[in-house]
Amino acid sequence: MPSPEPEIKNHIRRLRFEHGEMTQDQLAKQAGVTRHTIMALEAGKYFPSLLLAFRIARVFGAPVEQVFEYHATELNL
Amino acid sequence: MSDSEKWAWWTLGVVALTIAAYGAFLAFLGHGPATPSVFALLALAALPTSSRRHFTGRTHDERERVIANKAFRAGFTVFWLAFIGLIVAIDFIKGWTTTLTVPVWALSETLWWAASLILGVQALTTIVLYRKGSHA
Repeated sequence: MPSPEPEIKNHIRRLRFEHGEMTQDQLAKQAGVTRHTIMALEAGKYFPSLLLAFRIARVFGAPVEQVFEYHATELNL
Repeated sequence: MSDSEKWAWWTLGVVALTIAAYGAFLAFLGHGPATPSVFALLALAALPTSSRRHFTGRTHDERERVIANKAFRAGFTVFWLAFIGLIVAIDFIKGWTTTLTVPVWALSETLWWAASLILGVQALTTIVLYRKGSHA
């Protein structure tokens, strides 16, 4: 049985490359988390807290909805 | 690999080693006052497995805290279920009014098993959550 799509998608990987090929380590330091957490976010293995979402968006100088996308499903509205 | 994952693998190894040593003690010495001494091996779980991050900066962020909390809850839940199961089993098998005489080594061994159970489940949950993902 295929696993359901994640409810929150993010564009962190794309935004990193658009910001001078920023490394995961650089983003992690600026957002105040470990590189492992950035890796988990990009892999869709972790949904960040609101605070971390805002911090990451701030690093990219973008509104949070440009970094994170919420996908409502029938089960999760 | 993060510090928490390293801790989890190390702890799981220590628990496995302790259980193996316990099995060896049972095979050679039988069940007795000497067997709980193998649980001293659990002290190895206290050895630091962290990397230079402990000395250079951030050690835990929100994701690691979420995983640590979930792992602790899983360990305690399993311990609590085992504890209730054991109490109920003793009540039903031995009877509600029976007086039990338990040697101190058997009591300490039970507590050591409880500690091993909590550590083992906590470590295993940590590894699984790092692999499979932990959504806050």
